[in-house]
Amino acid sequence: MRKPPPISIAQLTSDGASLQEKSPPQSAADLPLGTPRLLSGLYVHIPFCFHKCHYCDFYSIVDHKDRQAAFVDRLVSDFHAAAQHNIGAIQTIFIGGGTPTLLAVGLWERLLRALHATFEIACDVEFTVEANPETVTAELLNVLTAGGVNRLSIGAQSFDPAALKMLERWHDPANVQRSVSLARAAGIENINLDLIFAIPGETLIDWAHDLDTALALHPDHLSCYGLMYEPNTPMTMRLKQGKLHRADDELEAQMYQHTIDRLAQAGFEQYEISNWSLPGRRCQHNLLYWHNADWWACGPGAAAHVNGWRWKNIPRLDAYIDGDALPEIQDVEHLDEDGRIGEALMLRLRLLDGIASSELDSLLNATASGPLRRASIDRNLENGLLEVCDDTIRMTNRGLLLADSIVLELL
Amino acid sequence: MPIRNFSIIAHIDHGKSTLADRLLQATSAVSDRDRREQFLDDMDLERERGITIKASAVTVHHTYNGEDYQLNFIDTPGHVDFAYEVSRALTACEGALLVVDATQGVEAQTVANAYLAVDNNLELIPVVNKIDLPAADPDRVAMEIEQVLGLPAEDCIYCSAKTGKGIDELLDSICRILPAPRTSEIEQTRALIFDSHYDEYRGVIVYFRIFDGSLKLGDKIRMMGTGRTFTITELGRYTPYPTKVKEIGEAEVGFMVAAIKTLDDVRVGDTITLEHDPAAEPLPGYEEPKQMVYCDFYPATAAGDGKKGDYEDLREAMEKLHLNDASFTYDTTHSDALGFGFRCGFLGLLHMEIVQERIEREGGVEIVQTAPTVSYQVEKTDGELVEIHNPADLPDASVIKEIREPIVRLEIICPNANIGDLIKLCDARRGTFKEQKFLSDTRQILDYELPLGEIIYDFYDKLKSITRGYGTMDYEIIGYQPDRLAKVSILVNGVPVEALSLIAHKDNAEKRSRAILVKLKKQIDRHQFEIPLQAAIGGKIIARESIKAVRKNVTAKCYGGDITRKRKLLEKQKEGKKRMKTVGSVNIPQEAFMSILDQGE
Repeated sequence: MRKPPPISIAQLTSDGASLQEKSPPQSAADLPLGTPRLLSGLYVHIPFCFHKCHYCDFYSIVDHKDRQAAFVDRLVSDFHAAAQHNIGAIQTIFIGGGTPTLLAVGLWERLLRALHATFEIACDVEFTVEANPETVTAELLNVLTAGGVNRLSIGAQSFDPAALKMLERWHDPANVQRSVSLARAAGIENINLDLIFAIPGETLIDWAHDLDTALALHPDHLSCYGLMYEPNTPMTMRLKQGKLHRADDELEAQMYQHTIDRLAQAGFEQYEISNWSLPGRRCQHNLLYWHNADWWACGPGAAAHVNGWRWKNIPRLDAYIDGDALPEIQDVEHLDEDGRIGEALMLRLRLLDGIASSELDSLLNATASGPLRRASIDRNLENGLLEVCDDTIRMTNRGLLLADSIVLELL
Repeated sequence: MPIRNFSIIAHIDHGKSTLADRLLQATSAVSDRDRREQFLDDMDLERERGITIKASAVTVHHTYNGEDYQLNFIDTPGHVDFAYEVSRALTACEGALLVVDATQGVEAQTVANAYLAVDNNLELIPVVNKIDLPAADPDRVAMEIEQVLGLPAEDCIYCSAKTGKGIDELLDSICRILPAPRTSEIEQTRALIFDSHYDEYRGVIVYFRIFDGSLKLGDKIRMMGTGRTFTITELGRYTPYPTKVKEIGEAEVGFMVAAIKTLDDVRVGDTITLEHDPAAEPLPGYEEPKQMVYCDFYPATAAGDGKKGDYEDLREAMEKLHLNDASFTYDTTHSDALGFGFRCGFLGLLHMEIVQERIEREGGVEIVQTAPTVSYQVEKTDGELVEIHNPADLPDASVIKEIREPIVRLEIICPNANIGDLIKLCDARRGTFKEQKFLSDTRQILDYELPLGEIIYDFYDKLKSITRGYGTMDYEIIGYQPDRLAKVSILVNGVPVEALSLIAHKDNAEKRSRAILVKLKKQIDRHQFEIPLQAAIGGKIIARESIKAVRKNVTAKCYGGDITRKRKLLEKQKEGKKRMKTVGSVNIPQEAFMSILDQGE
């Protein structure tokens, strides 16, 4: 296919209107990002898995062609291209997947070396790598820590073999504990465990047991998700075919409430709908998302947000490896001010810190939708779904469970 | 030249159009190229449904015994909703071909139409069609015709409209058996209007049959029923292409154009006479169209938010369709839940469906249709008699002496095995058993009288499912009868929703309203609070349900790559919510307003 000529940034206005009349942007280079930007966050996507879990809708493939080396080569060139558009020290790095820990140790060394050689990285960077408990080894952990990784996010999901089977998640629960121990031994101080509740067949007691088992491993951070049925996942297909029954709303609400109570008792603070941490251990990278801050994205299927622009690298490994410089992108979006405010409210209200009244005022006063949004917020304050606390608006416990109902009126 | 005026009557899909087509072809009226389509039906909709709604007339020639005959074939609507139109078309004829499918046998409509033809003193020629099919059993079908309709089996003509077999014999029979039209009884001109179409360029096209005198181009005519006068600017016949003529004479059939702007000026059954020398009496049998089934049409997109655009589009579509079909009525209405719309009256259920489809298709407007209701007569304590087309209009119970509802004579033809279940169904719908007789070894005819109000919701679907599609039914309205009827209000979150209210018999009001509440429960999304659903007669609650409060509606995972998609999902939800109607802080989807229609009992 013949590529349309690149668009010069001078042709574009920042509202993106003229962009749509021109040919669609091929890569982030075609976007008016006001480059070079101060880079605060970097997300890197590793698309390999040894098996596709049934609930997962991230871009990943079970690679039979041994393309890991080619992928890392390309990722390094992606880093170089990204660095052209970014300056300043990176505050957070998150390497997710897929299963990043599936990459061979030698390739990890190359990746980390390139990262340091290409970008300026803050000395107090939060550097997270996602880990599948089945693939964690002491050797790999040593390479990671040597490369500056200081936070490990382990996909535990559940400790109950029946629940893991239901999710088609292939790992031995015992390996979670092994991974935590190895990570601690390697000097990683900040460890997150991902857990899923409301799995079909799971009882409240099962979940309480899972949560206690996780706490016994002394994580610094816990992400606890009510199972989501994402479109185009086998889990959703099975649900539609009637092969499984989704947990009852009431049960899921009870599980969620138990999580809130139990984790508070264990000294964790809930800072987001599905995230809890010990003091000082909030995930700085994820906070960028919810604060609508800027981050860059490398790797196929990775999403970025810079200067009001959102885009996603095309989620195809072949196309990614075949490319050079910045990868091809899709789902490019630039909202108008009103849309951005709606989006900001949607994201910020997920955080238990809420929004300061003064900041809320300025968001609501900026556009014509303000009064409607204000009325909706007032209604939810009355209904007890939102509350004002220390001059800050935030969701109540009941509100957290109905967050979508609250937020959709604010969009 | 001898003239024969005839119709074809048949059950749907028994091959009426194909036979008409073949007859025209056999008389060399139609070329093969034109035969591709059954051109007597000129609307897509009719073709899709296999129903002929609008009558036309075609004039052809056939030589019998060395003599040239003029054959005027008058097409009739195929459904009982148009019984009056059918009867007018039949009045214009001296005979009819009664067509029965050789694989299906006599059906409910065959019987109803045959009776209608006999009532109009028509000579019948029984025709067994589709004899080319492997499953054809013409002898059995001929016996059914003899048994049910009393037409001798040996008089049946066997034919196949598809292969052409028996067609010549049939044409000869039309000339031989059907009577010649009567001669003029009076000197003045009298012509019967049996159909009319609206043409965008020429105005109304009137189809007529002359009984007395003749009509000439340029004649000044008067419609005896409406009193309107016009001048004939075009006169012609379809052969089958429109052919202009200067005069149409005694006993002949043709069409005219006379600068008539709306179908309201032309009533089927009306008599045309000459302005300068009018007949003293019109031809008998004229009636005003009588609407029996009513429902509301609302624009689907306008919320009750005072937005007028969609309503105007709907109004335009209704006005346009009304030019083509003057037999439905419409009046502006307003509902708290659905905004501005129209209260519409139809001849029957099928008519309602056809109008709705045509408005959506031809007007490009999406409609929310409320559940249909029949036309009730209410006698008040002060003796005043009012007609009610809408449960909301029912006077206060304290001033009602009695409520009368329309009763139909229902005829069902079904396989023997289903007779028990159908009797149960009719009894449950307040039916009065009238008669049951054998049609053949395997099928029976079941006659019931029951309220029209009981068959306008899902009766036909039930009949079809009980008989696995083999049962057929037909009905005619025979009058009004008082019964213990009451208005049932449906309350959502304590607020009565008029668009959901219904008039029901007190004995089954509870059962019906429970079914409605269960349906509503499925269609209304859970809200942040519990929603009581109640059905009430007067102040008395007769059924209740409740929709539990939603406990959980949260996107658990929302990270960098999820934001756009999750936001769009929420926006979609919000958009869906916007299209719902808000009553008492509850969002009711538009489909819910149809829940009274079909009830999975």
